Amino acid sequence: MTPAMSTVSLATLALADSRFPGGGHAHSGGLEEAVHRGTVSGSEQLAEFLHGRLHGAGAQAAVFAAAAAHAAARGVPPDHWSLLDAELDARTPAPAQRAASRAQGRGTLRAGRSALPSRALDELHATTGSPHHPVVVGVLLGAGADRSPADTAAAMAYLSISGPASAAVRLLGLDPFEANAAVTALRAETERIAAEAARTAGHRPGSLPATSSPALDLLAEQHQRHHREEGRLFAS
Amino acid sequence: MKSTASLTVELDGAGNSVVRRLRSMAPLTLVPRRRGSSATGGAVVHLVGSATSPLGGDDLSLRVRVGAGARLLLRGIAASLALPGHGPGGSRGSIDIDVEDGGTVEYLPEPTVVTSRAEHRAELSVRLADSARACFRETLVLGRSGEEPGGLVSSTSLERGGIPLLRHTFEPGRQRLRASHTHLGGARVLANEVVVWDRDPEPRSEADWALQPLAGGGSLTTVLTADTVTARRRLAEARAVHPSGGELTPVEPAE
Repeated sequence: MTPAMSTVSLATLALADSRFPGGGHAHSGGLEEAVHRGTVSGSEQLAEFLHGRLHGAGAQAAVFAAAAAHAAARGVPPDHWSLLDAELDARTPAPAQRAASRAQGRGTLRAGRSALPSRALDELHATTGSPHHPVVVGVLLGAGADRSPADTAAAMAYLSISGPASAAVRLLGLDPFEANAAVTALRAETERIAAEAARTAGHRPGSLPATSSPALDLLAEQHQRHHREEGRLFAS
Repeated sequence: MKSTASLTVELDGAGNSVVRRLRSMAPLTLVPRRRGSSATGGAVVHLVGSATSPLGGDDLSLRVRVGAGARLLLRGIAASLALPGHGPGGSRGSIDIDVEDGGTVEYLPEPTVVTSRAEHRAELSVRLADSARACFRETLVLGRSGEEPGGLVSSTSLERGGIPLLRHTFEPGRQRLRASHTHLGGARVLANEVVVWDRDPEPRSEADWALQPLAGGGSLTTVLTADTVTARRRLAEARAVHPSGGELTPVEPAE
């Protein structure tokens, strides 16, 4: 009997690992502002925060990670990366969220160029300078041997909630077991969102789905303001 | 009911914006109110929902074209209610606006109330030439007082010179999502205003609203409140700090 092949690539696991040195630990994804407002103070509220984040920003990021993976796998001309970049900008109205996405993109790109180099990654860097996080994740995984937009989208959706969950441990002194359980409670929804993102991965950039999270936009902008005025622990 | 209305506004020889083509089709009635130069606010057309609409099964579309240098203010008259129909299927309302070089469009509808059994899809697509200007707002009321909202998908697409400035799709979702502090934080009213004018603002952030410069130009104000009176006030506050806010047609204060 032949042993079953693993279906998830090591590259996907490495990127989703919190030890991947992409700088994600500096971002709370709006959680720090929510904690300051008093709207998240325990594990139950954290679960609701993560649920909303997954369905909003997480789903949006998953769509672009899957599309970038699909594009890297099929081989696209470099100007495709500018199109994807502009389309994700248009779906990110809050300047603070664009800055956070590009900061994490930059960090992930730097680490990824040593860990998972590819021509597509160099072209992405050359065309966009400081690319959006989901697009970098998509290119890192799509340009490799295991080209699964669904796994890429799942990794991205997971990253959109795992970072805020570990930020909650630092900000609230939350039990790490509970924070981690709030993430794994969302596994079925994460997989559904990843599967949906994979379905649109081959669409033209202009017709990729858009998902808005108005309250998160307000949190991100308030965080930026308070970060500037009073200083904050996290960059976003 | 399937209905297609259209409206074209152009400059005449005297520099006034005039309605060149206007086709109403029930329940979408377009009522020209005034012609005028760009400096005086241009042409004004009222959009009147002549039947109770949108109802389930309705498919309403409106095409608007603003010619080079012309200015149009398209204004709603009363709040609309998205209600369930007798037949199966949700309702759909789409508006397509094209503005040529130097043209200006302002689209200022009244709020849409999403009632409990509504299944409504609203689509707004605005295509601007490089030097065109636009201002449009949307106010969504998620259910009448004490009522759960039905299904709603509201999409906005804005391009200038072929470059995407904003692609936005909002769905209130289920109660759990509406309560999440990343989505609506329990707010019943979501209001947005997009301004693409001559100057773009700096970001401005308050607890229940933000004025956000978009990456490709223009700005989006996002407001989350419990009621429409406060939402309208917040939109006015955002206009007050927008460098082009004084050039927009004022919206009367709430009753």
